[in-house]
Amino acid sequence: MKVVALYKWARDPEAANVRAGGVVDWGNAKMVAGDDDHAVLEVAKALAEGGELVGLTLGDGDAAWALARGVEVAYSVPDAPFLADNAATAAIMAAAVKHIGGADVVVVGDAEQHPGVPAALAGLLGWPALLGVTSATAEGERLTAVRRVGDTIQTVWVDAPAVLSVAATGEEAKPPGMMQMLQARKKPVTQVSLAELGVDPKEGVASRGTRLPDVTGAKMLEGSPAQVAADLVAALRSDGVL
Amino acid sequence: MSAAAWVIATDEKYLVSLVEAGAALGSPPTVLVVGSPELAQAAVDAGAGQVAWIEPAAGTPAEAYTAAAVSLVSQAGPRLLLSSSAAAARTLLGAAAAALGAAVVTAAIKVELGGDTLVVHCNRLGGSVVEAFESTGPVAAVCQGYDAPPPGTAGASPEPAQAGEPGAFGIVEEQPAPGGGGLTEAERVVGFGRGVKVRADMALIEELAQAMDAAVGCTMPVADDYKWMSQYIGRSGLSIAPKLYLAVGIQGSPQHTEGIRDAKVVAAINSDPEAPIFRRATYGIVADLYEVLPELLTALKN
Repeated sequence: MKVVALYKWARDPEAANVRAGGVVDWGNAKMVAGDDDHAVLEVAKALAEGGELVGLTLGDGDAAWALARGVEVAYSVPDAPFLADNAATAAIMAAAVKHIGGADVVVVGDAEQHPGVPAALAGLLGWPALLGVTSATAEGERLTAVRRVGDTIQTVWVDAPAVLSVAATGEEAKPPGMMQMLQARKKPVTQVSLAELGVDPKEGVASRGTRLPDVTGAKMLEGSPAQVAADLVAALRSDGVL
Repeated sequence: MSAAAWVIATDEKYLVSLVEAGAALGSPPTVLVVGSPELAQAAVDAGAGQVAWIEPAAGTPAEAYTAAAVSLVSQAGPRLLLSSSAAAARTLLGAAAAALGAAVVTAAIKVELGGDTLVVHCNRLGGSVVEAFESTGPVAAVCQGYDAPPPGTAGASPEPAQAGEPGAFGIVEEQPAPGGGGLTEAERVVGFGRGVKVRADMALIEELAQAMDAAVGCTMPVADDYKWMSQYIGRSGLSIAPKLYLAVGIQGSPQHTEGIRDAKVVAAINSDPEAPIFRRATYGIVADLYEVLPELLTALKN
């Protein structure tokens, strides 16, 4: 099975600074591994066993990250910008997946901050999708995945080609060591431009800017530990929740 | 392109709020239900203008009806498509958006139509800011949603739609998720994070929970890295909806706050004044939890 694993395709939210009035300063935020990306690689590796594992990153995402985690062939789209329109991001990914060619499965993070991307990607590829999976196996063309749906754990299958989005259930168990990272840096990365992909990254929405939310957080209780403790208990009792 | 909005629903969660959001375009939205007769009825009760309903065959997930859903949405050509963030609903939304050539935005909290311009307000950076997006074309929005009671004015009856041949999908098995140790049913929950330094200090949390008649929960790193508990509260863990959630030594990553979205009152104790949990909290205390917790126990006894 040929598996394309997507990683490092969104800006680092930690790099965002919220200024007065709610203006966001992104500085020179890089494309970083999302919370789910290590789990994406795990699932992709399991599915690609005996087949081929291709990694795909956007913008300035560092391919060595995936090459050190079992990816054999690395592609990147260095001039892909970060876009707020999840469909526009997905359009770049879909074009790159077609350019790579022959993929049976695309695995991507379920992405808390950009949850429209995996859905739009499947839509643009015209492939079926299972979103929010935590593990997956392949037998022939059949992909069987496990996911949580409300209060049930569901085991569900779909036939390839398909898109799977993965939700991590923990942090990375064993990140690669320094040696693996150094070796990964020596491996080749195939760069493909938006022009080669024939994609004009046009967004279907325009931002009117950001603002602070209407409710700006908590009522802060101040004073000595004894004072704040008493105030909190009084407030919670008066709210009828204690 | 039709002026009305469509809502795609594969489960009941936040359905009333999605119908409310869609009504911003001037008339109650059409709800496309891929699910049980009860879900179709819930869409009626939520005040849908129309309900187009596909009932999946036994053992078949909603995603198997993507082609039928796309065909229904394409024929109507709505200006706005809404769904919750549920996996199946999102899958159908993404496929329909691709067919409509719609932009896709997420964490939407409000929709407005001014003249021909659609404005969708979306939470960004885990809710620290709100970004407004405008478009003169079709937009698909994954909504944040909230719990709301049905309006009491029911809409039209469900109209069974052509389900077509389901796609190659199947449910192998469904098992109840491991019980949350009463966490999901608890009226009060004390949650703790990495601010609690050593495992022995969990006794302090448990004592506090007992005094509050509350259940105890934790964040993903506490369960996953430290292995102090088997379950955690968060997006990929348990979702809870207590009347009171007391967050102790919890930073408040989006992963965690997603799991407490339906909590009514949230009180947070953290030594970092910048901790994102304070943006979600109703009450906040910036202090060392080891100084406040004993005082809280005393105050609870008074």
